Amino acid sequence: MALRDRYYEHQRPILGTVSVIGFFLLWEWLLTSVVTVDPFFLTQPSKVAAAAKELFLGGAIWQDLAVSSKAFLWGFSAAVIVGIPTGVFMGWRRRAEYTLDPFFTALYASPLVALAPLLIIIFGVGLTGKVVLVFLLAVFPFIFNAFAGVKSTDRLLVNVVRSFGGKEKDIYWKVILPSILPYMVAGARIAIGRGIVGIIVGEFYAASEGIGFAISRFGDTYRLPEMFAAILVLMILAVVFTEGLRKLENVLAPWKIGQEAR
Amino acid sequence: MVPCIQASDVTLTFRPKDREAVTAINGLTLEVARGEFVSIVGPSGCGKSTFLNVLLGLLKPDKGEIQLNGKRISGPGEERAMVFQEFGLLPWRTVLANVELGLELKGVAADTRRKRARGLIELVGLTAFENHYPHELSGGMKQRVGLARALVTEPEVLLMDEPFAALDAQTRDLMQTELLQIWDRAKKTVIFVTHSIEEAAYLSDRVVIMSARPGKVKEVLRIGLPRPREYEMRLSPGFNEIKSRIWSTLKEELVTRIGGDGAQR
Repeated sequence: MALRDRYYEHQRPILGTVSVIGFFLLWEWLLTSVVTVDPFFLTQPSKVAAAAKELFLGGAIWQDLAVSSKAFLWGFSAAVIVGIPTGVFMGWRRRAEYTLDPFFTALYASPLVALAPLLIIIFGVGLTGKVVLVFLLAVFPFIFNAFAGVKSTDRLLVNVVRSFGGKEKDIYWKVILPSILPYMVAGARIAIGRGIVGIIVGEFYAASEGIGFAISRFGDTYRLPEMFAAILVLMILAVVFTEGLRKLENVLAPWKIGQEAR
Repeated sequence: MVPCIQASDVTLTFRPKDREAVTAINGLTLEVARGEFVSIVGPSGCGKSTFLNVLLGLLKPDKGEIQLNGKRISGPGEERAMVFQEFGLLPWRTVLANVELGLELKGVAADTRRKRARGLIELVGLTAFENHYPHELSGGMKQRVGLARALVTEPEVLLMDEPFAALDAQTRDLMQTELLQIWDRAKKTVIFVTHSIEEAAYLSDRVVIMSARPGKVKEVLRIGLPRPREYEMRLSPGFNEIKSRIWSTLKEELVTRIGGDGAQR
C-alpha cells in the first residue's frame, strides 16, 4: 500500500522515465532482433551512445558546441533586448502598433530561414551571419508576446497606479513589466526553438564548425551514429533551456504558482 | 467656511469611437463638508463611478469643475485616495508591498514606508498576512488591504467605489462596522458609492440620490441617526422609514432607466 502511495506521488517522473527508456529499448530491439535494416540507413541507440561517448571524450564536439552556443546566445540576447521594448511600445502606443504591425506580422509569418543565403552573402561565413539569423527568428516571439501581454494588462491596475500619483514610467515598471512576465516566458520558449533552427540552418548553409556543420558533415559522410548523437545533443540542450526557463519563471513570478494551482 | 468638496455643474460625455456618445453626468452639483460621510446611490449607469473618477482626477469633466478646499481638481493628488470595487491589488506584490504602493510613488524612503504600511496593516487586522500574495486572501481580506493602501498616504478624502459589493453579506456587515470605526478615529471625508440602500443609510451622514443617466443629483437626504451607529439600529422602525424614503425616490429613477434603456436598445 505504501509503495502504491509513493508511486502515485511521483507518477509523472516515473511514467516519463519509463516511457523514454522503453522507447530506446524498443528501438534497439527492433533493429537487432526483429528487422534487419541496412545500417547505412538507420542505426540503433547502443551505437549512437557509443558515438556520443567518443564525440565527447574525443573532444571534437565541444568546439562545435561552443561555436554554435556563442552565436545562439548573442542572437537570442539581442532578440530579448530589442524584442521586449518594441513589443511593449507597440502595445502601449496605438500609433506605433498601427505603423509597425504590418511589417512584423508579415515577417513573423514568413519562413525567415529563406533569408539565410542572403545573410551569408552580406555577413560572410562566420559568427555575424548566424547571429543575425538567430536574432531575426527569435525576435518576433518576443515582440508579439510582449505586445499581447501589454494588451491584456489590467486597466484597473493602471488606474490604481495613476490614482496614487504614478507617472508613465511607474506604469511601465510597476504594472506592465510584471504583467507581461508570463508572456515573456512563453515567448522565450518559442524563440528558443526558432533560434536553434536559425543556428542549424545557418551552419548547414555555410560554416566550417558548429553543431549544424557537424550534423551535415556526419550526414554527408554517412556516419549515422555520430549524426544521431549530435542531434541528440541539440534535443537535450533545447529541453534543458526550456525547463530552465520554467524554473526561472517560478523564481521571478512566485505569485503565478499558486494561481495556476487553483 | 469653504466646503471640503464643491462640485459645480459637472458634465461629462464619453465619446467612444465606434459607438454613440453617452453623457454620463450632466450638471451635477454637490457640496460635502469636511469630515462628512456621504453616500451616493442611483440606478446602474447613472454616472456614480464616473463622478468618483472625476473626483479622483482620472477623468476630466467637459463642463463644470470640482474644487477641493477651494482648489480646482485637475489630476490625481495625495489628498484623495480610492478604494476600488474589484480591489485593484497588484497580484505580484505581497500585502505589505501593495500597501506601500502610494508611499513608494511619492518617493518615501523604504524603511519609513515599511513602518507606516505595517501600522495600517495592523489597523485592518492583517499583520499575520503581510507577506501573503493577494490570491492567497479572501475577498474581505483583499478589501482590507485596499483600505489600508488608501489610508497609508493619509488622504483627507477617501473615495470608495462600491467597495463591499464583491463581498458576501456577513463579511460586508463586518467591513461596514470596521469602516465606521476607522472613519470615526481618522476623521476623513468619505464619498461612498453603493447600490445598497441599507448600506448607504447605515453608514452616512447624508445620502445623495442620483437620477438615471445622464446623472445629476435628484435628492439629498440627511440621515438623522445618532453616532456611533450600532448594528441594532438597522432593526429600528426609524431606519426602515429612512430606507423606504430612499427607495421611493430611487424607484422613480429605476423606472425611467428601464424605460430609457428599452427605447435605446
